[in-house]
Amino acid sequence: MTQIELRGVQKFFGAVQVIKDLNLKIDDNEFIVLLGQSGCGKTTTLRAIAGLETIDEGDILIDGKAIQHLKAADRDIAMVFQSFSLYPHMSVYENIAFPLRATRKSKSEIDSEVRSVAKTLQITDLLEKKPSALSGGDMQRVAIGRALVRRPKAMLMDEPIGALDAKLREEMRAEIKRLHIKQGSTTIYVTHDQIEAMSLADRIVIMHEGMLQQVGSPDEVYSRPANLFVAQFVGSPVMNVADAAISETTSSASVTVGGAEAGFEFPRTLLSKLNGHAGGELALGIRPEGVLIRRDAAEGFLPVETQLVEPLGSFDIVDLKVGSKMLRARTRSGFVGGPGEKVFARIDPSQAHFFDKTSGKSLGVRL
Amino acid sequence: MAAVQTSGERALNKIAIVAVLVVTIIFLAPIYWIVSTSFKPRNLATTVPPTVVFEPTISPFVKLFTKRSQLRSPPTAEEYAAAPWWERVVFDGGEKIVRDGQGQVQWSGYPSRFLNSLIIAITSTVLAVGMGTFTAYGFSRFKVKGEADLLFFILSTRMLPAVVVAIPMFLMYRAVGLNDTHLGLIILYTAFNLSFSVWLMKGFMDEIPKEYEEAALVDGYTRMEAFFKIVLPEAATGIAATAVFCFITAWNEYAFALIMTNRRAQTAPPFIPSQVGSGLPDWTVIASGTFLFLLPVAIFTFLLRNHLLRGMSFGAIRK
Repeated sequence: MTQIELRGVQKFFGAVQVIKDLNLKIDDNEFIVLLGQSGCGKTTTLRAIAGLETIDEGDILIDGKAIQHLKAADRDIAMVFQSFSLYPHMSVYENIAFPLRATRKSKSEIDSEVRSVAKTLQITDLLEKKPSALSGGDMQRVAIGRALVRRPKAMLMDEPIGALDAKLREEMRAEIKRLHIKQGSTTIYVTHDQIEAMSLADRIVIMHEGMLQQVGSPDEVYSRPANLFVAQFVGSPVMNVADAAISETTSSASVTVGGAEAGFEFPRTLLSKLNGHAGGELALGIRPEGVLIRRDAAEGFLPVETQLVEPLGSFDIVDLKVGSKMLRARTRSGFVGGPGEKVFARIDPSQAHFFDKTSGKSLGVRL
Repeated sequence: MAAVQTSGERALNKIAIVAVLVVTIIFLAPIYWIVSTSFKPRNLATTVPPTVVFEPTISPFVKLFTKRSQLRSPPTAEEYAAAPWWERVVFDGGEKIVRDGQGQVQWSGYPSRFLNSLIIAITSTVLAVGMGTFTAYGFSRFKVKGEADLLFFILSTRMLPAVVVAIPMFLMYRAVGLNDTHLGLIILYTAFNLSFSVWLMKGFMDEIPKEYEEAALVDGYTRMEAFFKIVLPEAATGIAATAVFCFITAWNEYAFALIMTNRRAQTAPPFIPSQVGSGLPDWTVIASGTFLFLLPVAIFTFLLRNHLLRGMSFGAIRK
């Protein structure tokens, strides 16, 4: 049982505040991913938990006990670094055995534990090699092995597969997930890659400029972003965001984007759900798959012109000019021949998000 | 890039090889001179033109290691027959004897000077490199207030020729009783080498990724343990390179050794030139002393050659 809790954590580097009042509770066996752009404070948070950085305020608790004053060595936490950080002068065996040697275990115990971890990670035949003789993927397996062998309270991973090439990254991603399911230790994983975050995490923690933006399951952060930052950070291609003006028609609500002549049709309930915000500065967020297009006119569909078409294999991304604004739509591949075509578009109200432009916060409208 | 060398490139290559050979010969010529002279009989040491082909003798080494007393007459046949082989070597060179009036063989001052050199150079190298490594680690890994000023201050100790302070140092040493002591020279050479060692080691320390120690810290080790188990083995190359330089400086130092010592703690450099012999200088003895004196540095450098080669180019390329 390992729970980790951050309470009001603050961290300054000189005058720059890199972690701003961070509160987070991580459950036992949970796989948490800290996601954000570089410089958002995610790695600093991880290092603070590991004991490699001090914090200026707040508490870090493991199983209810404050540990922020403990040395890294006394926290019983393992960490995997982006650069692997395998000790170059030691063999793979020695690298994996190194954390155990600090625990005064007997030689035979160390040997059996090293071999069992090596077996799990399928690196038994590499044990005698030096790190310099290993491929990137194997180095990372050894680094993970070194972290696992001590059976730590928690595993911290700082962009562990960021240095690998794309194909290997995909393989290692699956392997890390398999390993987590098998070993089930509380894991905090830092990355700037949202695909990694989505595919690995039980919950994703999105950070921006030292502040926590949203904590939620991959599905939650994708389909119910808490604010404009999350909306535009998660998902590829990114969510369309456009200034929106809401008006009332006889039977429905109309959402005008980019000063276009006509607005997209929305159910009338939108007005009540916007709860007085309808007249304010609003932004509409819609993912490309929420922009529906067809070739012939139909009720509720507005005529638009296609601009750029990006074929991505299994689907195309089509830029549509709506007023002065460009909306990107996801279509099946080959649906649009090329730029300059007239098609008809509509926004799926159930996939639309509305944000307060001043605060950036989601208004939580679900239609 | 052309896969095949053009004739111009081949010619350039040949010129480069010849140039390297010429430079090598220029550098090795004095060494050859010293080595060959140290095996020459005394009468061939100063011939013009130089004698290249000769029958080598170890007579200069025997004379180097023993105190020489001159006998008035050459040895009698019985004396010659009774003499050990190494004494006969000296007799054969047309010289007289290596024993004193009581017939005792006495060691010359060279072995003890050589030993002094070893003790002083090794100890001061260990101290300078050891302290330098710790200091460099501190500067490299921790925020030190006024780091740039401190490093400049450390470097500034090398901004004037050391000999400039020889007289005040001598007076100070005499006042505290450090002159002609091993400790005195060890302190002096350690102080000389420390700034160099700090600067060189800082460069090497900066190159060792911090993550190695951080990994060790998270793996359950203290910073001190991480330093000894991870940083030190990683810095071996730098330590070897620094040690070679410090050792050479301390081993070859002449001026201070001449001023600060005269017997007990005298090192080999001021001793060798004093062995000019009676009458004309005996160059063969000086050459043999110099030849033996070159050996420790050559052996030390040879043993560390792999580290040294890596050490010289270390840090030249950003990874």
